[in-house]
Amino acid sequence: MREQLGKLLEHLGQKEVATWHIGGLAIQVDPKTIVLSGIASILVLVLALFLRRALRQPIEEKPNRTQGALDIAMDLLDSQLLGNFSSPGFGARMLPFIGTLFLYILASNWLSLLPGLEAPTADPNVTIGLALMVLVMSHYFLVRTKGLRGLGKEYFSPWWLSPIKILSELVARPLSHGFRLFGNVFAEFVLVTIFLAKLEPFVVPIGLRAIFGIGFGFIQAFVFTILTVAYINLAIEKH
Amino acid sequence: MLQEAQVAAGGVSGADLVQVAKFLAAGLCMGIGSLGPGIGIGNVVAHALDSTARQPEMRGPLFSTMIIGCAFVETTAIYALLVSIILLFVAK
Repeated sequence: MREQLGKLLEHLGQKEVATWHIGGLAIQVDPKTIVLSGIASILVLVLALFLRRALRQPIEEKPNRTQGALDIAMDLLDSQLLGNFSSPGFGARMLPFIGTLFLYILASNWLSLLPGLEAPTADPNVTIGLALMVLVMSHYFLVRTKGLRGLGKEYFSPWWLSPIKILSELVARPLSHGFRLFGNVFAEFVLVTIFLAKLEPFVVPIGLRAIFGIGFGFIQAFVFTILTVAYINLAIEKH
Repeated sequence: MLQEAQVAAGGVSGADLVQVAKFLAAGLCMGIGSLGPGIGIGNVVAHALDSTARQPEMRGPLFSTMIIGCAFVETTAIYALLVSIILLFVAK
């Protein structure tokens, strides 16, 4: 038990860092995170391939079970996430981005359920990267809908507010967006590891895994995605 | 008694004190920093429940708005977590 806790603390403090030299640039990477996020992507890919095979049926037959389950899932996605876009029709356009983000984070969070694997979202670099991607997307749609004039107006409309606005929208927003996901997944990881080390691994870990792994993993993926929807919606909103 | 205390204090170096201060500060930061968000999320959920009880047909939109509100309230706790992590692992 002691050794396990010691190992955990050691793991928290330092990461296994490898240095890649790409074109004269020395880039420090964590190979474990890269492999784990690759596994998460492969899981999403496998789901897509499975659905493609399961949904291949003549159109006049009655829908099979997979089709029904997918319909329910799409209905939930549509009403809970995409329904929050204020302009009609925009939700359907954003479905690929939002849906992929949600599925990827969900697969990442649920990866910690498999023995020997950890959630790649327990690495702040992954979550901050996702948050930066959302930041870029929201600015892209801001320019698409309001033009460069709208972008300037967003940041410099009362000029004396612009430092605060730049700080809060370009720095604090992706930071809090990314660290929210990281903090929750990381806290779950620490909690489960400590409980597994402390308690006899019979009943309690199963409940813990069920509550933290499945429940919180789903909720955190949902929260990240709904915040993405809110940020993009703020960018395209006409006022 | 006094002698023993002095001997014990002699064994504590400055680096140990820094370590103690780091752990204390990280714990306090997280504990105090999550007080406000706790109250805030309680408020958000209480009012969402109130409105749901009054208008059950608004359940879906209220739920997603509640989640967004919770996430924004949570932000200050995230900053506290950030400061705690910096104190524990980054600060020398």
